[in-house]
Amino acid sequence: MSQPSRLMAKDLSVSFGKSSVLNELFVTIPDGSLTVIVGPNACGKSTLLRSLARLQSVQKGQVVLDGKAIHRQSSRSVARRLAILPQMPTAPEGLSVHDLVVRGRTPHQSALRQWSKADAAAVANALDKTGMADNAHRPLESLSGGQRQRAWIAMALAQDTDILLLDEPTTYLDLPHQIDLLTLVQKLNRETGRTVAMVLHDINLAARFADHIVALKDGKVHREGSPAEVITEQTMDQVFALPCTVIADPVHGTPHVIPA
Amino acid sequence: MILRLPYLSFLFSRRAIVAGSALAILLAITLTVSVKLGAFPLSWSQIIATFARRADDVQQMIVLDHRLPRILTAIGAGAAFGLAGAMFQTMLRNPLATPDVIGFSAGASCGALLAMILTGGFILPGALAGGLVTAAAVTALAWHNGLQPYRLILIGIGASLTLSAGADLLMTKIDALTAAEMAKWLIGTLNTRDWSDVRLVWLGLTFLFPLALWLQFPLSRMAMSDDITTGLGLPLSPLRLLVTACAVALVALGVSVAGPLPFVAFVSGPIARRIVRGGSPAMLPAATVGALVTLLADMAARSFPIVQLPAGVCTAMIGAPVLMWLLLVQFRKGTL
Repeated sequence: MSQPSRLMAKDLSVSFGKSSVLNELFVTIPDGSLTVIVGPNACGKSTLLRSLARLQSVQKGQVVLDGKAIHRQSSRSVARRLAILPQMPTAPEGLSVHDLVVRGRTPHQSALRQWSKADAAAVANALDKTGMADNAHRPLESLSGGQRQRAWIAMALAQDTDILLLDEPTTYLDLPHQIDLLTLVQKLNRETGRTVAMVLHDINLAARFADHIVALKDGKVHREGSPAEVITEQTMDQVFALPCTVIADPVHGTPHVIPA
Repeated sequence: MILRLPYLSFLFSRRAIVAGSALAILLAITLTVSVKLGAFPLSWSQIIATFARRADDVQQMIVLDHRLPRILTAIGAGAAFGLAGAMFQTMLRNPLATPDVIGFSAGASCGALLAMILTGGFILPGALAGGLVTAAAVTALAWHNGLQPYRLILIGIGASLTLSAGADLLMTKIDALTAAEMAKWLIGTLNTRDWSDVRLVWLGLTFLFPLALWLQFPLSRMAMSDDITTGLGLPLSPLRLLVTACAVALVALGVSVAGPLPFVAFVSGPIARRIVRGGSPAMLPAATVGALVTLLADMAARSFPIVQLPAGVCTAMIGAPVLMWLLLVQFRKGTL
């Protein structure tokens, strides 16, 4: 809690109809680090991330960005500081990678000022950083799942925000592509100093790539801290009801969960 | 390609410019040919003479008071429908979600018909009110945790059928002669258009066209998803309202000068997007395709011997197979 944070949730409650998903939740996303939100299915991981990105209407409490309630700020001004890549995003057929990345510049543009030097530089930089420059003119649907996800991340990068939120960016990718994508995200976090927060299903991948882990259970933060602090046999049992052994990953030294 | 003006800059794809120009040239050629086409044979030199006001009165009347208003009304109404269709298809991310399929055109026709029966005029306000009420009702009925396009389409088709029945009912309340005229108008017709129709449709377009083109920027973002639109900092709900209002106004404008002209709004967008490609909403090309389809349909209707066929019959003959084809494609892809 001592770390500085521009993005936090205070006393946040969200429910869908009668079922409550988030329940008076408090969380802070530490600046400049890579935070991963984990938890069992239907624990509210995605709902929390969507709430942090003002995509979710909340019943109680608020999300605070830069000291002000996020829903009281103009959406455009929020979009210049915070980018979100939703789960399984879709694009119209035929859209090229380049045109997709250009759309990431929207909060910096208007219908009458559609292109500036800063736009060109940000798009080129985003394509370069994600290794998509060579595929820039290919239509999105002609790419493999892993490349397509890189293109979407390039779009979020082009938005040129300090904070980047990713909702399960590895869904439907095979293991090599999951590693590839998370390595890219980690590199972006390290090289550009962006704050990254994402939802991941895989605990071992979370432990390997995260600086900070938030474990949710029943719409509340059950435990948060460094991977070594959160990924323990006790927490796994409490959060996932998963009896397991946690060992140190022999290669990376990060905690590794071995289910019993 | 980038167009830069002081303080303004616009982004175009090269393909969109080439395709747009080609469509515009095609429209210009069709327009020229359609001036010559008709029951009364005229040579090119006679037609040119009428524009210089040097032909005889009959020729003058045929070209300037009969054919030209009809052609210009067809182009204006077709462009309005094409634009409205492309806007709805892009906003709702579904090619089936166009005003003529989901009942907004039928609502506008009913409103116009009602206004005509009750007051003998006020066609445009009637169409506008009918279109907006239908849009509001269909959206409200389809609303369920947000806007699901397939719900909107199914409820819209239901509304369309209900409103057609309503129009039929209204027809029984008026005398047979008026009813016969109205019946043609309800199919969509460009018979006996005069310069007042031309003025109405083009005046409306001068306001709505720039608004629609301005909306292309947010629409091309809304084409991705609601979450992405909001994530990019665009105000989703106000934009939806503005797009709907603008598209309904375009439909009302088209309906009040040419009747509902079935399927013009529906076919224009997919044809334009297939020509332009690149995932753009292709609104200007869609307007051009709409104008072209309407003009061609009216030419076909005019060249039909003996009977004065309403143009709506021809647009329906073009549109219905496209509808079936799109339904099959979407059914196979599972995106219905």
